[in-house]
Amino acid sequence: MKRLVIIGLDCFTPQWALEQWRDDMPNLTALAEQGVGAHLHSTIPPITVPAWSCMMTSKDPGQLGIYGFRNRTSYEYDALKVSDSTWVTARTVWNYLSRNRMKSLVLSIPGTYPPKPLNGIMVGCFMTPDKSVTYTYPEGVKEVLDQAAGGEYIIDVKDFRTENKDQLLTAVNEMTAARFRAFRALCRVDDFDFAMMVEMGPDRLQHGFWRYCDPTHRLFEPGNPYQHVLHDYYVSIDDEIGRTVEAAADASVMVVSDHGAQAMDGAICINEWLQQRGYLRLKQQPTARTRLTSDMIDWANTKAWGEGGYYGRLFMNVAGREPQGCIPPGAYESLRSEIAAGLETQGDEDGRPIGTRVLKPEDVYREVNNIAPDLIVYFGNLNWRSAGTVGDRVIHIRENDTGPDDANHAPDGVFVWNAAGADSFRRSDSYSIYDIAPTILRFFGLGVPEDMIGASIM
Amino acid sequence: MPKGFTLWFTGLSGAGKSTLAERVRDILLERGMKVEVLDGDEVRTNLSKGLGYSKEDRDTNIRRIGWVCNLLTRNEVVAIAAAISPYREIRDENRALIGRFVEIYCACDIDTLKGRDPKGLYEKALRGEIKNFTGVDDPYEPPGRAEVVIDTSCESIDDSVRKIIATLEQLNYIPAGDARGYTEDEEEAIKQRLRDLGYI
Repeated sequence: MKRLVIIGLDCFTPQWALEQWRDDMPNLTALAEQGVGAHLHSTIPPITVPAWSCMMTSKDPGQLGIYGFRNRTSYEYDALKVSDSTWVTARTVWNYLSRNRMKSLVLSIPGTYPPKPLNGIMVGCFMTPDKSVTYTYPEGVKEVLDQAAGGEYIIDVKDFRTENKDQLLTAVNEMTAARFRAFRALCRVDDFDFAMMVEMGPDRLQHGFWRYCDPTHRLFEPGNPYQHVLHDYYVSIDDEIGRTVEAAADASVMVVSDHGAQAMDGAICINEWLQQRGYLRLKQQPTARTRLTSDMIDWANTKAWGEGGYYGRLFMNVAGREPQGCIPPGAYESLRSEIAAGLETQGDEDGRPIGTRVLKPEDVYREVNNIAPDLIVYFGNLNWRSAGTVGDRVIHIRENDTGPDDANHAPDGVFVWNAAGADSFRRSDSYSIYDIAPTILRFFGLGVPEDMIGASIM
Repeated sequence: MPKGFTLWFTGLSGAGKSTLAERVRDILLERGMKVEVLDGDEVRTNLSKGLGYSKEDRDTNIRRIGWVCNLLTRNEVVAIAAAISPYREIRDENRALIGRFVEIYCACDIDTLKGRDPKGLYEKALRGEIKNFTGVDDPYEPPGRAEVVIDTSCESIDDSVRKIIATLEQLNYIPAGDARGYTEDEEEAIKQRLRDLGYI
């Protein structure tokens, strides 16, 4: 019987895992040398939600109709809802495996809260509100999770925005160790054909410690006490990979990440930019940094507004679509292109180009389901983030507006697999996140559904 | 572990029993249930090999299928039977034997069936080349108390499948496919966490 174990690591980044620190990560390096070690190109945008769901369905965000953590559910101004597993209506890998009588263990893959039934076990993802709710299938698994974790099973780190870096470091290390222990323990409770976990630790730690560890970051100080935090964490992850490979016995082992990470240079205040260009008007200018809410906006005189995050989302106020829309539908396309061009030419404080890319959903997705943003903005090609707050009266800020953060997401993640027969695989330095689901199905001897957009690498 | 039950599809040849049985089977498998399908055509090639189409042989065939369904059901398997099973009395006998029994009547008017006729059986039966063909020269007794009635001449397969799955969920025989999403408070807490994490 063929068995496959997948270790998913959110934001685990290739320049470190596959290059800079590869000699210090013998277990990962061995897996790559036995089979494949390459980049894995992520979704647009390269963000946890929807990237993991896209990986597990081989469908793009437009097909899933999930464009980020929050999605518009109507053209009302306040209708941004957090997407949960009920949004993922496409078939996942474990749906196909269940249908073919194969058992899956699905631990904490983003896009799985609330958990849905399957042939096997599902533990909901980090979007679980807290441990009081039903976040496992079957429900009873919840009762054994702490025991499986050898302590407390942790859904996600609390107080992420703390200045107490030591506390954050301890919390992430504890979470990662507990979750790997839980995964290995659950793997033993049944004869799973497919077992996959996703650990959020790399993402959490990189956002908190990048400036201390990346010599190319503008705030890096050589010899600072946290200089080796990320290196040491990657080494500890490698140790967990080694233990998991050992526990997996004869199973094939894959390591994947949903996207990578890179230094964050600063943030562009998207709503300040829109105000200065006359696209957005507020009823009253706030005197301090404030999160923009719909009641602050003079809608009759507003053409566009934006959301903050690792990438920017821009929404337009279209007559007949938004409640107080003022852009005539006939002018929508030319205005959208005008705003896109303006954003792309916006440089840094000194006017130097930063390489912003602005994407139209219909150009990058095969379908555009539900309500997509009108524009998707990669400030500085993701070296800059989008700040949604208003009140600073400047376009550039060097610190994140919602608390300390020095890393942004990068489009390439990691793909490592100790697959037998890898010599005959389709060779590439960079596979697509959409190739994972077809590859898993092919591994188990199943056909690849025609509506999957990736291709098996086998 | 969910308990087993028997899902019994009855109706004339070509009414859609096997198609629906397979579609429902796939959904139940995806929800982690143990499922077996006993399809009338297949059963006649093994379990009931040698039986003909007399009333007696038909009753024996349906009793055998019911007997296997009962064994599966009591072992927490969902047994899906898809067989013409023309006589009400024998179906009800199986219902009494098994207990957790859900009857799906695939109704379809004879003209539609003659039009479909994928195996050319109706044509042959009407020409008299096949004898004892249910609905042509052999009786069919529709159920009086089927849990689900489907008119496959006018309902789409997707709609029919939804109707069956909804009934099974209502009976609490299968786990719901979707749990509820966030409450308002939970969503606010999640949003705050996402803000803290820099995602939004």
